[in-house]
Amino acid sequence: MNKGYILSRLIRSAVSIILIMAIVFVLVYTLIPRNSIFAGDDGYRKLAAKPDDKTDYVYNIWQKQGYLTFVRSADYFQTLYDMDSPEMAAALQPGSDAAEEFKAKYEAQGYTVETYTKSGRYYAYKDVPIIKHIAIWFANLIIIDTPRSVQDENNPDLKRGLSFGRTESGGLALIGSGTTHKYLLYTDSHFPWLHQNIIKLNFGDSYPTYQGLNVMTVLFQSQGSEVKRPVTYETGKEGESGIIFGSLTYKFKLDRLDRQKFADNYATFQTAKNQPSMIGTSFIIGIFALILSYGLGLPIGVLMARRKDKLADKLGMVYIIFIIAVPSLAYIYLFRYLATKAFALPSVFTTYGASDIRSWILPTISLALPSIAGLMLWTRRYVVDQMSQDYVKFAKAKGLSQREIFNDHIFKNAIIPIAQGIPASLAGCIAGAIITESIYAVGGMGKMLPNAIQQYNNTMVVALVFLFSTISVLSVLAGDIILIKIDPRISLAEKAGRS
Amino acid sequence: MEEKILENRDDLFAFAEFDEHESEHIAAPQYSYWKSVWRTFIKNKFTVAVSILLLVLILFALIQPSISGYSPLIAPNINNSEMRFLKPSAEHIFGTDNVGNEVFDVVWAGARNSIIISFVCTGINMILGILIGALWGFSKKMDKWMLEVYNVISNVPFLLLAMILSYVLGAGMGTLIFVMCVTEWIFVAFFIRTQVMIIRDREYNLASKCLGTSTWTMIKNNILPYLISVIMTYVARMIPSLISYEVFLSYMGLGLGVTKASLGRMISIYTSYMSGYPHLFWIPVTVLAVLSISLYIVGQKLADAADPRTHM
Repeated sequence: MNKGYILSRLIRSAVSIILIMAIVFVLVYTLIPRNSIFAGDDGYRKLAAKPDDKTDYVYNIWQKQGYLTFVRSADYFQTLYDMDSPEMAAALQPGSDAAEEFKAKYEAQGYTVETYTKSGRYYAYKDVPIIKHIAIWFANLIIIDTPRSVQDENNPDLKRGLSFGRTESGGLALIGSGTTHKYLLYTDSHFPWLHQNIIKLNFGDSYPTYQGLNVMTVLFQSQGSEVKRPVTYETGKEGESGIIFGSLTYKFKLDRLDRQKFADNYATFQTAKNQPSMIGTSFIIGIFALILSYGLGLPIGVLMARRKDKLADKLGMVYIIFIIAVPSLAYIYLFRYLATKAFALPSVFTTYGASDIRSWILPTISLALPSIAGLMLWTRRYVVDQMSQDYVKFAKAKGLSQREIFNDHIFKNAIIPIAQGIPASLAGCIAGAIITESIYAVGGMGKMLPNAIQQYNNTMVVALVFLFSTISVLSVLAGDIILIKIDPRISLAEKAGRS
Repeated sequence: MEEKILENRDDLFAFAEFDEHESEHIAAPQYSYWKSVWRTFIKNKFTVAVSILLLVLILFALIQPSISGYSPLIAPNINNSEMRFLKPSAEHIFGTDNVGNEVFDVVWAGARNSIIISFVCTGINMILGILIGALWGFSKKMDKWMLEVYNVISNVPFLLLAMILSYVLGAGMGTLIFVMCVTEWIFVAFFIRTQVMIIRDREYNLASKCLGTSTWTMIKNNILPYLISVIMTYVARMIPSLISYEVFLSYMGLGLGVTKASLGRMISIYTSYMSGYPHLFWIPVTVLAVLSISLYIVGQKLADAADPRTHM
């Protein structure tokens, strides 16, 4: 295989992803008015009676979201004078010399200076150009946890270094001090058994929905209610908790309860819950739907091709045309209606919850319905096309049986274009299925993007687009590599001599 | 006897005049492509029946709403609870819905908008897609950067684009058509590009190129006629899929808005009444299915008829 070709494809993929992100940034951060992000925010609504606090709140959020940089005159004075000094008090008066100096200084730097409606003090803001906004986003995308990560003024004696040891639950671990995470690498009894906290993707905090939570936490944290178990903490204290020891991170302000449980500052943790994460839920449904659709779609497609223009073929075509012609919303509702009447299966996921296998059956089959039809159609097409090839006639002339010809000769050739699509369908599982998940009330990824857009959760939209498009661009590449591997005749690189 | 024939020899044959016009005439059977397409198409009785059904449905959907004057904003029976959820009967052909409107009127008003949207979008997408795709398939320089453009456009989530555009432009027919065309054409173009690449290097095109045919003439005369059947298959799938798209967008609250009837919004509203009033679910779905399936069949048969190999 041509390594240079793969490398150039990877580079081009990276360029594509950057361009996609640029388009999305322009769409999200310039076309949607920035005031609309507060539409669903309760904190904003409560500030209606306090105009100055509201101004602070609004500009702070915009600064956090990367729209602009924001400076309050009071903050500026703090860098010049002591907190309670008379100079400070004088400077804070509206119209003081220091205030005018602030105005002149920031206006010279291109800031817009305005006054708070009540106190009459100045504040300054400057829009961040969209290109810079994108650059900052990419620069903060990957966070590497090092022993210098935590900078805590109140804890100057914090040791910095790495050591090997065990987690509270007994697994082997690489323990960091001065790092954000306590356990940088650790093993436990959960899939995938070896976990790492060294390199993390950082998309920023979610706002206004899932406020204060990191986007990655929202997507990957298990959902539902906490599963408690008896645990022994580091200090020897015993209790009931769903704590995941591997998730311990540095906490700047410890309270009394934290001190009882933990010997050091690593006291923030996530808890184990009874339902899989959003990505996990979609992935479980997606994977089983994928297995189902390949398991049914391929053999039925081959069967249809073998019985071309006979009853089996015609029945298959009726199914395919039905799926193409009827909107998925309608046939999923219909399927759910028929299936719940015929079998004792719940019509929504939440009836029995994630722990009951019955909840998963209908969403999985519903998701597989269209892909079965698609696979049937294409498998049939490819097999029919192969059947008229010369090598098939030759195999027949050699005296091979019909079964041998199909299994050993035709199927191997017909499967090539289908195998190329497998990585893309695998990646599609992560994106979730909007209609299926909303009809069955499944807490998966499908609803995340539409909800995030409707609720103006810009950080979430940008993060999801990045995840989905990266996975999809890479899976196209993976599909091409599979194509080359299983069919040596195909070459993707440009051949010398053929322009 | 023998002598008689010999005697009359001069009378039997006469010298023919040289006719320049006749000498140019090639004695092959008359062949007109479109006439042959038409002849193959109407040979199958089933196809003709489906086409007539389709034509009647489309005409009915285009005419009926202007007679009934249905508008989603006017619900004359909204306060009359006796008029709600009536089963289909002689008086109310398709029954009535949750606000007491005639389902018959709603369905045809919805069908009209859905048909207009899917036909207009298919037209725009196909014209743009074929023109750009044909050039794209021909020019290797263009291929290199168009592939990247394709990579980028096809990865911007459609839903994000649809939501932001309908937010910025306001919900409505124009917006919906724009949303359905703004990225869809590149998929058509990509499809056509692959097809063109398959046949552009065939011997007859090579010969044509050597004889100095311009790129545009080659696309127009050598390649596109070859692709008519593939394009027809694509159109046959695209029209129903655009109607499904419209249903999906309406379900997400992004369709035509409340002022215009559409099959999509109708289906997304009525599905919740499926267990109690099944006619509300079945009627729009059936109308849509009949419309889509007959469009699909007519498209497929047209594609078959458009393939010159079936003309023999």
